[in-house]
Amino acid sequence: MKRARVMWNVYRQYWRINVLTMLEYRANFLMWSVFTVVYHGAALAALWIVLTRFPSMNGWTFRDMAFLYALWMLAHAVHNTFFSTVGDVPEHIREGEFDRLLIRPLDTLFQAIATPGAIFPDELILALLTFAAAAVFAHLRVDTSFLLFVPLIAIGGALIDLAFNLIISTVAFWFVRVDALRWIVVQLEQEFTRYPITIYTRGVRLLLTFVVPFAFMNYYPARFFLHKVHETSVLPAGVGLLTPAIGVLFVAVAYAFWRFGLVRYQGVGH
Amino acid sequence: MIAVRRAPRRLRIAPYVEFAKRAMAREATYRFDVFTSIASVLVRVYLLKTVWVALYARNAAPKELPLHAIITYSTVALLMGLVMDIDQTRSLHDRLHDGSIATDFMKPIVVPLYFFADGTGEVLFHALLIVPSLLLALFIVHIDVPAPAVLATFFLSFGLGYCVGLFLNFILNCTAFWTLEISAVQMIVTWVSDLLGGELVPLVFFPAALQNVVAALPFAAMFSTPLLIYTGVIPPERWAAALGVQAAWVVLLGALSAALWRAGAKRIVVQGG
Repeated sequence: MKRARVMWNVYRQYWRINVLTMLEYRANFLMWSVFTVVYHGAALAALWIVLTRFPSMNGWTFRDMAFLYALWMLAHAVHNTFFSTVGDVPEHIREGEFDRLLIRPLDTLFQAIATPGAIFPDELILALLTFAAAAVFAHLRVDTSFLLFVPLIAIGGALIDLAFNLIISTVAFWFVRVDALRWIVVQLEQEFTRYPITIYTRGVRLLLTFVVPFAFMNYYPARFFLHKVHETSVLPAGVGLLTPAIGVLFVAVAYAFWRFGLVRYQGVGH
Repeated sequence: MIAVRRAPRRLRIAPYVEFAKRAMAREATYRFDVFTSIASVLVRVYLLKTVWVALYARNAAPKELPLHAIITYSTVALLMGLVMDIDQTRSLHDRLHDGSIATDFMKPIVVPLYFFADGTGEVLFHALLIVPSLLLALFIVHIDVPAPAVLATFFLSFGLGYCVGLFLNFILNCTAFWTLEISAVQMIVTWVSDLLGGELVPLVFFPAALQNVVAALPFAAMFSTPLLIYTGVIPPERWAAALGVQAAWVVLLGALSAALWRAGAKRIVVQGG
């Protein structure tokens, strides 16, 4: 109980420092926020332009594709806001700062998550706005089950993101430089989640469903909400609601791997 | 304030060749990065092929770019990106940021030429990667090879497009003389130019109103013009006009680069201690 209170206090301080950092570098923060808008704006604009020339992609119109994108964006923004610091672990290891976390009397992963950076929930706010607009644009019926499941799916999707972030950071216990590996996984996620998985060959669809289950971040839930039940992909549309369970499962596996790596970590010799 | 050293009267090329060679050797040490950039080309070629096939499968194909042409367009764009996406004069920004630019001005070299030489070495190394990337891409897609005259014009246009990108990056890096921190601005420009330059989606697919806006910006001169020459969308009778527009951008941005460099070098401020 006391432990939980300590962690809560640390976590509050963590956000306080983040906000203070943001206020200190206001101009820089503003430019990065503009970049976030441009980044997602360019991706959506490219989809829009293509779908003005072609009426659909495997039966998915721009309205559907925008919702698909917004759902991924929401989950990804939740991850970036609350868990992206896990991705800094390899750098901490390289710089020798990670060893400091090991001797403090709090869980190491919790400390890694609560290491202040220049984090501010601007992407999350943008993602919520985009998602609301995309949902209206796609003519979705907003009822209780929608309002209940969307946050769960966004959190589940964020956990899938976290699982791979954590796995890659854990690899850094053995191989110090993991930038290239991370880059591949990030690219795979960003580009392959942009389209309905029915366009891919069977092997890729299986990969995105069972091995690196990014299809659960947006494709399966979007298919459920958009009532695309007749589409033949790997699994039926109902599995879209399993995203939170998949997220928890993969984080559990990633956490076990993290523990496994942590007890074998020997430092990089600073 | 540091007095700007006058450039030596007679310019010797040899040191700059050496700078370029050193930059090439430096790039070659990141072997794992080389491996991943080639691997990522494979993944992206698969993706672009899949996406365009899906779009063309159920809909009427646009007449200016049939399926084989769009796959050629996108694959060549990807390979061009291997050298175009490099920020050749990034070291200028870095050295302004950490203050080491001050010592550069004391060396008996023409400083901007040093940055260009360094960037050229980096780009040449990455240009070598195009060969294995292309060979691997050919396992996944078929690329149309145009007539020799078209190919020659494409390379000329690609060269001009490369210069537009080079000066655009140099201008951005020069703004660090005043603002010191430009990473976010640079990322914004990169993302905008990828879209409005026609690297992701050919500009001929853009709605008419948007095409007019894009035509007035320098980004189209970077990717779109060479690619449209390659795929034959720009016919031989319009080559001169297309290359002329590119050359005009090179001259304009080159002049702006020179002016910014001169103004920046005069008021150099080194951040911190």
